[in-house]
Amino acid sequence: MIAPFELVRAGSLAEALELLESDPEAHVLAGGTALVLLMKQGLLRPSRLIDIGGLAELRGIRMNGDLRIGALTTHLEAERSALVRRHCPALASCFGTVATVRIRAQGTVGGNLAHADPAQDPPPMLVALGAVAVLESGAGRREVPMEDLFVDVFETSIGPGELLREIVVPPLAEGARATYVKFLPRTEDDYATVSVGAVLRVDADGRCADVRVALGSVGPTPVRARRVESALRGERVTPARLREAAMLVREEVDPIADARGSAAYKREMAGVWTERALRALLP
Amino acid sequence: MKLDHSARIDAPVERVWAIVSDVPRAGRLVPGVGPVEPLGADRYRGTLRVQIGPVRLDLAGDIEVTSRDETARTAALRLDAADHRLGGAVRATMRLALTQATPSTTDIRIETDAQVLGRIGELGEPIIRRKADRIVSELIANLAREASS
Amino acid sequence: MPAERLLSDLLRDDLGLTGTKIGCGVGVCGACTVLVDDVPVTSCLLLAAQAEGRSIRTIEGIADGDRLTALQRAFITEGGFQCGICTPGQIVSATALLERSAHPAEGEIRDWMKGNLCRCTGYYGILRAVRAAAEASA
Repeated sequence: MIAPFELVRAGSLAEALELLESDPEAHVLAGGTALVLLMKQGLLRPSRLIDIGGLAELRGIRMNGDLRIGALTTHLEAERSALVRRHCPALASCFGTVATVRIRAQGTVGGNLAHADPAQDPPPMLVALGAVAVLESGAGRREVPMEDLFVDVFETSIGPGELLREIVVPPLAEGARATYVKFLPRTEDDYATVSVGAVLRVDADGRCADVRVALGSVGPTPVRARRVESALRGERVTPARLREAAMLVREEVDPIADARGSAAYKREMAGVWTERALRALLP
Repeated sequence: MKLDHSARIDAPVERVWAIVSDVPRAGRLVPGVGPVEPLGADRYRGTLRVQIGPVRLDLAGDIEVTSRDETARTAALRLDAADHRLGGAVRATMRLALTQATPSTTDIRIETDAQVLGRIGELGEPIIRRKADRIVSELIANLAREASS
Repeated sequence: MPAERLLSDLLRDDLGLTGTKIGCGVGVCGACTVLVDDVPVTSCLLLAAQAEGRSIRTIEGIADGDRLTALQRAFITEGGFQCGICTPGQIVSATALLERSAHPAEGEIRDWMKGNLCRCTGYYGILRAVRAAAEASA
């Protein structure tokens, strides 16, 4: 069913980068859940896959003030990691809402980001948390803020010859709270109709000291809700103000109609779920 | 799948018409289109490359101008193209209408009705629609640039 | 072995282990669940080459010969299956859950098992079976 291809196993990160450089048409195999499916559907017929699954350099979770998650960490490992849970419980539970346990056990954090499916869970949460993607190539290393990683449906700013090495999640500021909510009107294992990652910090006099909101499933990439954020920053966060600000998101999203709802419905739900996410973060 | 695009272009209608009625020239304004060769009798052959993330479609096929009205400045095209490697095809009709808005500006309307057949359809209509929408929008933007320069 | 061989096809067609079922073929239904290094994966979306050198457990390797596990017996006594097509995947998934967490909370069971679809039982029998197996091991 899958067209024949050559599988080349990279023994080290350096070797993987060399292979990538020498064959720009090759595709990278990590967990394979998305890639193998595209190949089964016949939408992708690569002549060569570079299997990076064995690269120890890309595995594991570390803390050095920031949380650093290796690209080949599976969602299940990230969800259950004591380091991730301590650093940001909302991020751990976000990883825990991805698809099903089997897909989480197989699919990798880096593969998920590189696939850039706009209905995925971690991207909006990581955008809200201000995470950074670390890309490696033969030419060196560069860091890309998570919101600049996503360019379009299934398209990222990862260049030819570049590999996503790890993601870096800065600590939440003192007093900040984070959440990830997902609207699933059909079944528990479905893609979200809309999802919201949000971080809110309210100071001692009840003013919004900082806020970051990003949505999934309602645009070709995660949508950073800048209007919502600027309507709240510096303001006293009453439930009424929160609601008014949240509804501004309807002008920022760009949903498409599909089996999960019409574009108009998703726009409306984006407002409702942005409000719910932010309300859950009030002190 | 139906798409409807309208825009105002900063160029006189004669000028815009001259570009769009020259199919190989208009083809160069469509992102991803390779050289368009005439086959005679208002028929042409060309290729279109569309990249959707890791998925690349290489469509090859024919374009036929099925009607052309020089005075009303309307035209209709039929496109029939296939990607034999992936297994899939696109059939589309496009209706184009130009109207003089002012002596120096033109209103353009492009109505597209496309059918996506075979494996390409696995991408799902919403994604295909967004891509098709972007291709037509870019065509109009490139046309506006070329006509007004 | 060709690079394009899927683990599910290797198991069923090359090794004759047909207990692993292929349902949806797109990673949704869970009928093809097997354990790779004790972790449940979707064998219809895993290249066999990705499992090279790792330990694979299929439904055929769950029971000890003819002696069913407590979980398998609970599927029978609690009515955890009807037509049976999803059952190997259900049992493989639940086995992994109980190995990790001997007494899982209700929410943990539901979350873990939500990727194994069943069109017959309405899931209650399956949940009862997992709970009963967990209690039996107390």
